[in-house]
Amino acid sequence: MNSRIIKALLKKDISLFMNNRFYMLITVVGIVFYIGIYFLLPSEVDEELSIAMYAEEVPEAFAALSGQQGINIGYFEDEESMTQTVLDGDYIAGISLPTDILDIWAAGNKPDITIYYPSAASTEVLDAIVALVKELSYAQTGQSINFDITQEILGADMTGNQINLRDRMRPLLVIFILLTEILTLASLISVEIEQGTARALFVTPMRISDLFIAKGVLGVGLALIQSILFMLLVGGFAHQPLIVLTALILGSIMVVGIGFLLSSVTRDVMSVTGWGMLILIIFAIPGFGATIPGLLSGWAKVIPSYYLTDTVNRVVNYSAGWVDVSANLAILAGFTALIIYAGMVTLRRRYQ
Amino acid sequence: MNKSIIVENLTYRYGELVAVDHIDFEVEAGEILGFLGPNGAGKTTAVKMLTGQLHPHEGKAILLGYDVVKDTPKVKAQIGVCFEQPNLYEQMSAIDNLKLFAELFSVNDFNGFALLKRVGLAGREKDRVANYSKGMKQRLMVARSLVNRPQIIFLDEPTAGLDPVSSEAIDNIILEERERGATIFLTTHDMWEADKLCDRVAFINQGRLAALDAPRNLKQQYGKRSLIAEVASTSGKIEKKEIRMDSADTAGAVENLFSKEKVITIHSEEATLEDIFIKVTGRRLSE
Repeated sequence: MNSRIIKALLKKDISLFMNNRFYMLITVVGIVFYIGIYFLLPSEVDEELSIAMYAEEVPEAFAALSGQQGINIGYFEDEESMTQTVLDGDYIAGISLPTDILDIWAAGNKPDITIYYPSAASTEVLDAIVALVKELSYAQTGQSINFDITQEILGADMTGNQINLRDRMRPLLVIFILLTEILTLASLISVEIEQGTARALFVTPMRISDLFIAKGVLGVGLALIQSILFMLLVGGFAHQPLIVLTALILGSIMVVGIGFLLSSVTRDVMSVTGWGMLILIIFAIPGFGATIPGLLSGWAKVIPSYYLTDTVNRVVNYSAGWVDVSANLAILAGFTALIIYAGMVTLRRRYQ
Repeated sequence: MNKSIIVENLTYRYGELVAVDHIDFEVEAGEILGFLGPNGAGKTTAVKMLTGQLHPHEGKAILLGYDVVKDTPKVKAQIGVCFEQPNLYEQMSAIDNLKLFAELFSVNDFNGFALLKRVGLAGREKDRVANYSKGMKQRLMVARSLVNRPQIIFLDEPTAGLDPVSSEAIDNIILEERERGATIFLTTHDMWEADKLCDRVAFINQGRLAALDAPRNLKQQYGKRSLIAEVASTSGKIEKKEIRMDSADTAGAVENLFSKEKVITIHSEEATLEDIFIKVTGRRLSE
């Protein structure tokens, strides 16, 4: 390793980066865009009560609820599909009425009513739904407390810690910022190979390790600076900043590895952009999962970025600690090592 | 004299194709060697092996006493390479291009402005290379190959497609570098350039060395040695007469010519390197 050579390569790449309008555009516009999106998203929670309901025979008082201002009722044909929509976040709660509820009431007994909540439901929502069921039961039977109630939380219990949309989007936006740098780095490398300047570098005393270090420092630097800036502006370091920083560093290194891989399998800037967009979409999927709880199933865990977005999501939105995310970080570090190694091997071949 | 380049049994294959086929040659320090051959003859592959870009499958190359494969960094530190196709950082200025390579070669007392002046680019040092003409880019390429004051300079078609002014500027730099003591390895298929600049030329064809000698020696060995005279007949008509130079009665024939004929012009007829290349390989250089 020759620090003078690495410094010279880094200076050259920064100069090329600053002189290229495309790189500057996607970097500056990107970060402004993502920060803008965060602040444009609502910071308040929708006050309308959207309730899912399952009942073979809907009591008259419950049916009368439909159409009332501020209340949106969705009826389902089976309990499983109802709980799934609640889990997906489409409804703030699901009410399941026993099949023979009217007969139970007619016999003077108490039916067992089950209420399902998504994990992020607030205590106010829980209280409001229970109060509503009491009110409707009274309207139906003319008697108070004429039922037993079972409350079930779907997914992780986040009762009382409801998260607004823009905060839920932080993991998605930060992964977008990191992934954008794949395009920048891969384009820089691809142009060097395409224009033959890389060949000129290889007839100097520069070693390929010097080149990888210089490109790595540039890529990690660009990705990390932007992601840190974003997280600072959107309050992403309010809880356990070291964990978030660790995840961002690993994510930045992973992005460099992907950039190496992408530039080694593409021929020119156009193909870098095309394949890069595909990679960007795939790697952003876990970020959508963090934004919309229940969107993804287990298959998303095969995407390396899942362990980055899930870590960031759990730390910044759910106050997770080192113990909670250590497995995530270990897997992320493993994926990062694998990707950076594969990137260096394939890019080395391309250079040669 | 010291040997700058020693090549022994050098071979490289692309799959089944033998691009460079067991070639041997040596180049003296301060010599200009022309490496002539048509496209696909193996010139570029040979140069890539000599400059450490490719590892030979067989044989070895010793540059300045160092094995190119085993001591690649030491070799690279003392060579300069000028590629055929411009491969400059076009978004950077000429001076920044040179400064970058001076840093890569760890040159401490580098004066880029003086080097650019030498190649005729004074006053345009801070212009973006993208705004340069082809000739200016080629001159900058040559300048880049000189930033580390190399002991061996590899020049791949340095004047291909250039205007006469740019070509002459580059030819002068080549001769200056030879004066400095540098060894020049000139890859070209321009026979005139090779004839003018090179101390020796090597013909490479289908990966093999077909001939290696000084242009004059090659011409003597393969050329047609004769005198062509234009003489005026009594009717005033101009006629051509040929006298073979290596026959027993050459002297008598010359004497007769001048005593009996009115000689208008007389000159020796020499074969060109192109003629010799065709004679040796059966192919044209420009194929």
